[in-house]
Amino acid sequence: MMDDLGVKEAFASITGQALLKAVLVVLIASLIVLAIQKMLPRVAEKLGGKPRLYLLASVPLLRLLIILATIVVVVPILVEPSFENMVAIFGALALALGFAFKDYANSLIAGIVTLYEMPYRPGDWIQVDGQYGEVRSIGARAAEIVTPDDTVVIVPHSKLWNSLIANDNDGTDNLMCIADFHLEANHDVGQVRELLRDVAFTSPRTKTWQPVQVIVFNKPWGMHYRLKAYPFAPKEQFQFISELTARGSAELAHQGVRFVSAPVTGN
Amino acid sequence: MNNNTNETQADPCLPGGLLPLEQWTLPQTSVHRSLKDAIRHALQQLRAGMSQTEEPFESMDQLPELSGTQKSWLVPEPDYSSQATAIACELKRARAEGSLSREVVCLVAAPFSGVEQALAHFSQPDQLDSSEASGETWRVISPPDTLLFDYQAASEWWDKQNLSLPWVIPELSDFWLRRLSGLALIKELFRRIANGSAGVGIVGCSSWCWRYWGHYLENAQMSPLSPAPMESERLGGWFTHRASGNGRSPVIARMTDDGSYVLPLAETSEAEKENSSKKRKYSTFLRDLAATSRGNPGVALAIWQRSLRARPDDDASVDDADEKTKRQHRTADCWVVPLAQLSLPTMPQSQESVTGFVLHALLLHNGLDEASLEAVSGVSGYQLSLVLSRLKRAELVIYDQSDEHWRVTAIGYPTVRRHLQSWGFPVDQF
Repeated sequence: MMDDLGVKEAFASITGQALLKAVLVVLIASLIVLAIQKMLPRVAEKLGGKPRLYLLASVPLLRLLIILATIVVVVPILVEPSFENMVAIFGALALALGFAFKDYANSLIAGIVTLYEMPYRPGDWIQVDGQYGEVRSIGARAAEIVTPDDTVVIVPHSKLWNSLIANDNDGTDNLMCIADFHLEANHDVGQVRELLRDVAFTSPRTKTWQPVQVIVFNKPWGMHYRLKAYPFAPKEQFQFISELTARGSAELAHQGVRFVSAPVTGN
Repeated sequence: MNNNTNETQADPCLPGGLLPLEQWTLPQTSVHRSLKDAIRHALQQLRAGMSQTEEPFESMDQLPELSGTQKSWLVPEPDYSSQATAIACELKRARAEGSLSREVVCLVAAPFSGVEQALAHFSQPDQLDSSEASGETWRVISPPDTLLFDYQAASEWWDKQNLSLPWVIPELSDFWLRRLSGLALIKELFRRIANGSAGVGIVGCSSWCWRYWGHYLENAQMSPLSPAPMESERLGGWFTHRASGNGRSPVIARMTDDGSYVLPLAETSEAEKENSSKKRKYSTFLRDLAATSRGNPGVALAIWQRSLRARPDDDASVDDADEKTKRQHRTADCWVVPLAQLSLPTMPQSQESVTGFVLHALLLHNGLDEASLEAVSGVSGYQLSLVLSRLKRAELVIYDQSDEHWRVTAIGYPTVRRHLQSWGFPVDQF
């Protein structure tokens, strides 16, 4: 079959020297990619804020550009870049990928789509198949997320085709946090809403130019309040929710508003 | 409230006059300067993790600093009573023209702009030019000793203030604490202003505090006014005016690197240009200074003071009597170090969130004592002491013995603002 595709002819002219040259180019490209993957996230951590997000997002893009540049450089070194040879090589490659590495190729292609559509970028907080965490890096085949419990979860890019991906900050540093309060009924709802709004506005972590909202639901067991606000940095989200919950609870208790004591199932 | 035609006649203590907050624009600078600043800021952040040595100020040049006498001549203390007169005059004119119809006027200005100190002079009628201030007696409302009130108590406190006479609040940020029980006084004041039951008054407010309350009271429309930004020409005029008080001749300031002129300003009209016998090369220092200080006069003044140098052979004292004789032999009264060579305070390496909480709280409240700072920032007392001492060494904050308050320094303000912004904290619009 390979003969039919002309692959044998295409590779017939490869000399040892050309092979050595190609290996050298691939080696240099690999080192550059490695350096980018190691250095840029470190620099990004130092910068913080928006520059951090931009720099992190540039890592996979730079890697793709280097890979493409390497292919463009290496192929003419190995074979004469005629139309027949190209058809032969890429045809053989497609055949091999199609049969032997179907899933792997699936993830690789999804990885390229990821760079274009950007459903998640390094620095984003995402949820995929019940796993929530910050995207640490985006590889060719999979993305790595770090959960709040410091566990690294590998998410293959192929999840893009058939899973729901929730992105909490979508490439920005605005991430909404929600503190829930389950209260017994028979209290002044307006007063509690105002109080909870003040709780958010008086937190030093609150990004006050973003909306602060207090939503209330009437439930069979009492009232369910949701205090929604944005922390100044996405990584502060857990401290922020904890602080809102603690201060809100203390002040509600001070005002004589009681929390529901029985466990509640469902919404 | 002001336009180009009357700007030339504007009071030198309030160059550009007052203008609506939404018309305030940042002084322009060159793309080269903006890029340089951005790269410098990024490098400072990167370097913060590597070296801990470059914290305090160090001079990058060999020229001697100005003596005390020279400083008091070239950079005297701002004249707040003249600024108060200028503000009163501007407000009166705006009312006469009909562009200002509100009974309570809000004056919003960045920290160190001097509006607070000027408004404090409103209570001294002899300090205000009676012809401009029309003999009105203004009463300064001082904040209560404790700022923690419930709404009932806050309402009672305002009832006790005599709002029937014209009143002035020099700094609104002295009336609140960012705590649940620390919001009531300002909420009640704004409620009364909205109801029209607050009488005639002036509210001075720091831009950081105003930004916060603008978000908190999202439906409040106060149409605040603000002093015009200090662009390069205004800055030059202001520095010249301050240094040439008491009938002195205009100051000559030149750059240390290429000798180009900073002061006096370049002649703008053709006639003046023709009269000028020599062709002078003028520096872009004032334009860069205006951009670095974001049009903030207090910050510009602090940097200006630091950038001035004497000549090595200058006498330490400047005597008025033989000033003219000396000037005949002089090429400049003082020399100016370029901004790029001037080492301004840098942010020390530390846990950015804790440092951010402390600095943001200080700016939001225009300075706080240590106990209030602990309550507002949520940083523990022990950690707070460490952070404050570190920031003090870095010249970013200062402890004011007179009222036992910690404050951000004018010279450190640009660095502090820029870092708070890059860390994601809410910042002011100036």
